[in-house]
Amino acid sequence: MILRIRRLAVAALILAGTRVGMGADKCFECHTAIADKPSTQFAHDIHHRAGVTCAGCHGGDATTDDPEKAMNKEGNFIGVPKGDVISARCAACHADSVRMAGYHVVLPANQFALLKESVHGQKSISGKERIVQCTTCHGAHGIVPVRDPASPVSPLKIVATCSSCHSNATYMRAYNPALPVDQREKYRTSVHGMKNARGDAKVAECVSCHGTHGILPVKDVRSKVFPVNLPSTCANCHSNAAYMKPYGIPTDQYEKFTRSVHGIALLKKNDLGAPACNSCHGNHGAAPPDIESVSKVCGICHSLNADLFAASPHKQAFDERHLPECETCHGNHDIEPATSTLLGVSSDAVCSRCHTPTDNPQGYSAAQVMRLQIDSLELSEQRAQALVAQAEQEGMEISEAKYRLRDIHQARLEARTTVHAFNAPRFATAVDKGLVVSASVAIEAQGALDEYIFRRIGLGISTLIISILAASLYLYIRRIEKR
Amino acid sequence: MQRAWQRLYAWLDERLQLANLVEFMGKKYVPVHRHSIWYYFGGVSLFLFLIQVVTGILLLLYYKGSEQLAFESIQFISSKVSFGWLIRSIHSWSANLFILAVLVHMFSVFFERSYRAPRELTWMTGMVMFFLALGFGFSGYLLPWNELAFFATKVGTDIAGVIPVVGKPLMIFLRGGEDVTGATLSRFFGFHVAVLPGIFTVALGIHLLLVQRQGMSEPLHVAALPANGRKTMPFFPNFLLRDLLLWLIVLNLLAILAVFFPWELGKKADLFASAPSGIRPEWYFLFMFQTLKFIPARIGFIDGEVLGVFVFSLAGLLWLLIPFWDRRSARGERNRALSYAGLCAVMYIIAFTILGWVL
Repeated sequence: MILRIRRLAVAALILAGTRVGMGADKCFECHTAIADKPSTQFAHDIHHRAGVTCAGCHGGDATTDDPEKAMNKEGNFIGVPKGDVISARCAACHADSVRMAGYHVVLPANQFALLKESVHGQKSISGKERIVQCTTCHGAHGIVPVRDPASPVSPLKIVATCSSCHSNATYMRAYNPALPVDQREKYRTSVHGMKNARGDAKVAECVSCHGTHGILPVKDVRSKVFPVNLPSTCANCHSNAAYMKPYGIPTDQYEKFTRSVHGIALLKKNDLGAPACNSCHGNHGAAPPDIESVSKVCGICHSLNADLFAASPHKQAFDERHLPECETCHGNHDIEPATSTLLGVSSDAVCSRCHTPTDNPQGYSAAQVMRLQIDSLELSEQRAQALVAQAEQEGMEISEAKYRLRDIHQARLEARTTVHAFNAPRFATAVDKGLVVSASVAIEAQGALDEYIFRRIGLGISTLIISILAASLYLYIRRIEKR
Repeated sequence: MQRAWQRLYAWLDERLQLANLVEFMGKKYVPVHRHSIWYYFGGVSLFLFLIQVVTGILLLLYYKGSEQLAFESIQFISSKVSFGWLIRSIHSWSANLFILAVLVHMFSVFFERSYRAPRELTWMTGMVMFFLALGFGFSGYLLPWNELAFFATKVGTDIAGVIPVVGKPLMIFLRGGEDVTGATLSRFFGFHVAVLPGIFTVALGIHLLLVQRQGMSEPLHVAALPANGRKTMPFFPNFLLRDLLLWLIVLNLLAILAVFFPWELGKKADLFASAPSGIRPEWYFLFMFQTLKFIPARIGFIDGEVLGVFVFSLAGLLWLLIPFWDRRSARGERNRALSYAGLCAVMYIIAFTILGWVL
């Protein structure tokens, strides 16, 4: 029995030993007595409340009140941890899930590993230590849970914490001179920033988009804000109907975007030139573009279309009616490929939404004619393509005509762009250019097909002649050999 | 009509003494036996070579042998020049049929032992022409400067480069530098239209002269027959007309192939592009190419590719010198072992060509 009790006691001691620095904290008692700042802050620290002693981070012996023994440098006392030792001390517990379970805390055990892989862990300039240690964001002696509003990494304080470095141009220059330092200023003008400033802890702040311990450079394909990942990052909140309910805005933007021409280009074709959410809304200064600025936003990429529209008669008409310029015809999140069907007065066209035969017969008829013109160009392009394909199928050398199919396609794109000028003669000129090229390509391809038939006929005739010659020769040989 | 021909013949005869020539040819006889069919492949090879010369000269009128213009000039020939497509297609098809006819001719001569004395020189000039024909094929393949030809030439000249001692200088000589570039195209063009035809014409002249002087060789079993037991036919006009008949059939075949299967041009060679899949040489090099692919990288202390090239070179040399070491045939005795070895060689070439095509 005594033996069993002894064994249990030993086991209890071993278990107790796994909880670093637990038990009497003589360091804290003495330092509290002299009321120094670290001990004052540590009194509210979550670690102190959990029973972690000063020795947990500083080493030494917290069970003795003899300073010589407690801070014996020949023992394990390390004083104030410096550089990477800071994070290593934190990781001694936080990267050990078994040890953390002893504190009844469910925290991921990979924070340190993520930090080491992150941009903050990689971009050292000294080569000796990481830019950011755990204490850089979480503080040292007064660490409180993230959800505590007093925490420097709580939603309402994180922006200030991040910007303490990221808004410091002098500091940032040493690591990445190309990185802007106005993120906080922009954020304050964003819808997210304004709500955050008013105390809304639900809106997006730095870590909502960039992540926490494992922040990666924007150009890293694994980053949450890499173009192809960004829409789903935004959708984490914006597609969550319950989360977004208090804000009264739609939650179908992501679903619409994935179906749009931009979404397909970005998410399915991995075209990094295609716009993500931030391309139109901004990133740190994210806000919906207003009616006036829609065309400016679209015009960043579609500059020619925007210029043509700005000089067109529609510009004034749209402004007078407070219509957003591009969005009125093309939509916003669910923009479909701009085919010719948008033009004209059919049920799927957009012109007839405003131009009715009664209210605006001139515009109605112009839209009708323009649609006929672009349709005829499309048809002639299809015909030229079919003829070239047929000639190629027949083994004819038609590479020059095939190359010129691109010119027709280019002319059609030009014509479709010229639509935005809403100028019938100019549009007709652009269409005619394509029609001329497609006619000449069709003639060339048809010529190749005619040549194909000519070759077959020619072969038939020559084969016949040669065969007759051969047969005659055969008969002649037989005749002379019979002699 | 017949009178007009007779008058024309008389007019020519008066000036050229054609009667003597006809009388000479009338005295020439070709042996007739169950293997006589193989005699015609020499004539077919000659006919296809003549087509190569004629179509080649016509292509020269438009072809431009430079890196920038070669591909475009072939494109131009195929699409813009009247009957250019036909000339190019016939040139390409007859080149391949020429190699095929030469191969059949060569193996028929081998199996009939027609190389035996006194026809050693006929065999050797024939072999020289065979190697030149391969050279024609290899150099001509690059001339359109398309992707496949470019990489096949790269691989082919790389193989030449593995020959010990002379390989590297030979490769640089063939390429006109370290890599296949426009310089390679220029010299391949020169080889194809000047150097090789020049040597070939000399070899062909000697070959034909020897054939005319020595007549057709008789197989051993025919030669062993008594003089009154052997059948013959006059070279002129019987054999020559039969030759002509076969030439007409081949011409018909060529026309059908050229029209129904026009030779493709492919994509222009890009020196900086990576090699596309399916790079392979022309079919007549495939058996060697496939063999080299099967040989392990190292066999003992020797590089596998070097060993392969060495074995092929040795086999080629033995093949060339066969009239001098096949003493049994020279004595008029049957050499079954050699026939079986030749049969194995033919089967190996066919099998590895098919493998090279399929794999």
